[in-house]
Parts: sequence; structure tokens; C-alpha cells
Amino acid sequence: MKNVKNVNYWQIDHRVKQIFERKGAVILPSPTAWEKFKWSRAYFERKPKEGYFVWIKKQVDFPLTTCITIASPKISQDLTNLLVIEKGITVKADVICNAAKNNLCGTHKARGKLLLKDNASLEYNHLHRWGKKDFVSPDYEFILGENSRLVYTYKNLFPPESLQLKTTIRGGKNSSSNLNFIINGLNSRIEVKDTLFLEGKNSQGTIKLKLVGRKNSQLMAKSSIIAKTLGRGHLDCRGLLVDKNSTISLIPELICQSKDAQITHEASIGKISEEELNYLRQRGLSEEEAINLIVTGFLELGE
Amino acid sequence: MLLEVKNLKVKGNGKEILKGVDLKINSGEVQAFLGPNASGKSTLVQVILGNPKYKVIKGKIFFAGKEITKLLPEKRVKLGLALAWQTPPAVKGVKLSQLLEKISQRKDLQFEEGKGLLERETNVDFSGGEKKISELLQILALKPKLVIFDEIDSGLDLKKLEKVSKIIKKELVAKGVSVLLITHSGAILQFLKPKITNVMVDGRVICKEKDFRKVLKTIKKYGYEKCKKCKLLAN
Repeated sequence: MKNVKNVNYWQIDHRVKQIFERKGAVILPSPTAWEKFKWSRAYFERKPKEGYFVWIKKQVDFPLTTCITIASPKISQDLTNLLVIEKGITVKADVICNAAKNNLCGTHKARGKLLLKDNASLEYNHLHRWGKKDFVSPDYEFILGENSRLVYTYKNLFPPESLQLKTTIRGGKNSSSNLNFIINGLNSRIEVKDTLFLEGKNSQGTIKLKLVGRKNSQLMAKSSIIAKTLGRGHLDCRGLLVDKNSTISLIPELICQSKDAQITHEASIGKISEEELNYLRQRGLSEEEAINLIVTGFLELGE
Repeated sequence: MLLEVKNLKVKGNGKEILKGVDLKINSGEVQAFLGPNASGKSTLVQVILGNPKYKVIKGKIFFAGKEITKLLPEKRVKLGLALAWQTPPAVKGVKLSQLLEKISQRKDLQFEEGKGLLERETNVDFSGGEKKISELLQILALKPKLVIFDEIDSGLDLKKLEKVSKIIKKELVAKGVSVLLITHSGAILQFLKPKITNVMVDGRVICKEKDFRKVLKTIKKYGYEKCKKCKLLAN
């Protein structure tokens, strides 16, 4: 990893390797925060075993960086993370979860709450790089206060054997959320479940989901937008099937509980066009290089 | 001899499209292929480039002294074959500059005409003229020995056609690159003056003529259907 010195919280296996606290932010291991800040218990639900607690109290001038690594064989992480951003603060966060090697057979289970208080703004880049035999199951809930803004991007560059990714957004009054999921399947079983609750009046949000199924992958994505009051939401799910042994299931769901809400969706699953593939091969690219370029283009679309 | 096609018979979708085609192109030579719609011209060039959609049932293709009949398309390109498509497909999400970076065999590619296209997605919403420029740019990046232009003159007005022809002359013909022009209308021939003009009808080459003007005149007068009866038949 580049600039490891700037990583604010770095955990390797079960050990906290580094905490780099900077002005405006409180960064602690979750078990310590549970003991130190009684109010945090309402969000942790139960005493955490491991994970990070980040409390952004004042405006910061650095991107928050966290890294959770599996470096030893057969490690089973059970993380509980909490990020709290105080009112009116704007934060960028780069969150990396990875395996140091390809064959560690690790388990990464992570639960977390991310609290954006009124007028707060968060750009959250969630990056996964796993080994072929890892089992990964993150479950994050974002709670958006009044007028808060969230831009969330998830990318799994190297997918694990199994990924269960659950994301819940609770949008408060006048809040906005923009969610982008880029999911690669490569010999993987992947289940994505994302739900956007438009809870506060005039809350709005979009979910964009792109899935690529390669090499015997089974991908399933259930995306829901639930409008409880006046609000707007849009769901865009796209799948690209690269090989004949992979499957992609997209289940978009819209639930409207208010006559004043406007929610829409579009969904499509396509395959690689033979004509496009042949065209690129006639430009000197091998079949694999051509497929990679088409997949890159698919993932770039609309970015 | 740079390219030699010997008695090529080809099937596509179970139907015989090429019924024994012969073709020889020398280094630095410009040739043309004329023919009506669905005569097999585009199939011939796709087969020369190795499109797996078509099945060669008889005959052989040689390029630069090597038999390439069963060679993968990308390997044919590495040997120096290149095709400018008539209707290139859109490569969504991939900028032309990205594609050029991937395929380019040269670092000195300077091409004013294509500059405005570089940051756009390849062939997405390109006009007819822009597609031709994009194809030319890609072809030049490949540093080919033989370039086949499939209907490069279709959809271009005379001024643009002249401009494209000038680029082909300057960047390819003048540098000793062989050129094969596939054309339905023959509009580009006046600018590039092919050494031999072939006429293809119903999957067969029925005429090879040195004077392209005579061929165009005959086609204009009698149409392709009467070409078979033409006295200009060279072979």
C-alpha cells in the first residue's frame, strides 16, 4: 500500500498495526471506544471484539484512510466499525479491505454503522482486494441526518470466493445519497443486498449497480428503494455475462409508501458482443485482452 | 507476393458465400474490389482477417510467405494485416485514446484529423465521416503491410473522400504499404488509381482489369448483372 504512514487505522489479522490520529478526529479500536464513550454503545449494539471507531468532531483537512488486512492463513475476523461525523463536516474516506496473499482462506466479517449528522457530507470509497479462497461478508448501515450528503462507491477489484455484501441507507430529511457498486465475479459466489430507505421528507437517492460474471461465477443482487414519504429515487442495475458458466440475477424492488414519492428503476443483463470482440481482435488484441477491455468499458460507463 | 488467396470457398450461416476466390496482391500495390451488395466482398475481407463467424471449406490464404488460413485474427494483425471496417461497432466506455494506447505499434503517431475524437468513446455516436477517420487512425497505429478498406467511400461526400484518399496516399501508399479497396460505388478509385480492379459477383471474381475506368464505365452502362458478359473479362 502507498503511504502507509498516512493510514489512520490499520489492522492486520486481529492486531492493530497502526493508529494515526489527527486533529479533529478520534480514532480508537472499537472495544476501547465501547469502554470510553458510553453513547457509542447505542450504535455498537453489543460489545465489539475488534474493528475501528472513528469520530470526526471537527472539520479535517485529510482523507480518512482505514485498512483491514488478512495476512495469515485461516484468520477469521469479526469486526464492528463505527464512523460518526459531526454536524456540517465534510469528509472523504478511503476504506480498504484486503488479503495480503491469494491463498489465505480467510474470513472477513464486518458490521458497521456510519452516522452522518445534519449537514454532514461523506465521500466513501470502499475498495476490496481479496484472495481466491476468502469469505467476505460486510454489513453496513449509513444513517443520514438532515441535509446530509453521501457518495458511496464500492469496488471489488479482486473478488473472494464468497461475498455477501449488505448495505442499508437511511435517508433523513433533504438528504441525498449516491451509491455505486462495481462487482466483479471471478469463480465467485456473490450476493449483494442494498436497500435505500427514503425516510425523511425530500430525501433522494440513486443506486447504480454493475456486475460482471466471469469464470463460473454466480452473482445475485437485490436492490431496493423504499419511499416512506415525499422523495425521489432511482435504481440502475446492469449485468454483463462474460462466460457461459456464469449467472447473474438482478432483483430490483421499488416500494412506494407515499403518493408523493417518485421512484424508478431500470435493469438489464447483456453479454459480450461477438462483433465487438472480433473487431478488437482485428486490432491485434488477444481474446482475453479484448474481453478485459470490453469489461473495463462496461464498468466505466456512466462514471 | 504479399497476399495470396487460393480457390477460397467459405460458408456463413450454413450458406456458401464465397465459391472459389483467387487473389494476389504484391507489396506496395493498390488493388480494388468492386461488386454489388451481397456479392461476398465483405465476407472475403472478414475471412482474410480471420473472423471465426465464417468457415473456410476449401482453399488457402497466404500472407507474407506464411499460410494464415487457420491463424487467429490477432496473429494475422501482428503479421501486418489490417482492415478498416465499413461499420465499426461501438466500444462503449472505452475512449479512442485508450484503445489506441492498447493497440498502437508506434509512438510517433501524429494525426491532426482525429484529435477531436480521442476523448470520445470509440465509435459511440460517431458520424459516418468520424468513423472513417477513427478507423484510419487505428489502422495507422498498427503499422500494417497491407490495409483493406471496406467501403471507405460509402457515406462520404466528394470533398471528404478526397481528403481521406490523400491521407491514404500519404500515410500508406507512399510508404510502400499495400492497399485493397473494397467498394460498391467505385467513387474512391479516381483518387487512388488501383493497379488491378477485381469484380466480384455472387461469390466469384469474374473480372480482373488493369484499367479501373473501363470497369466503372462498363458497370455504369450494363450494371453488375451484365458484367459476366463483358468483353473486358481479363481471365
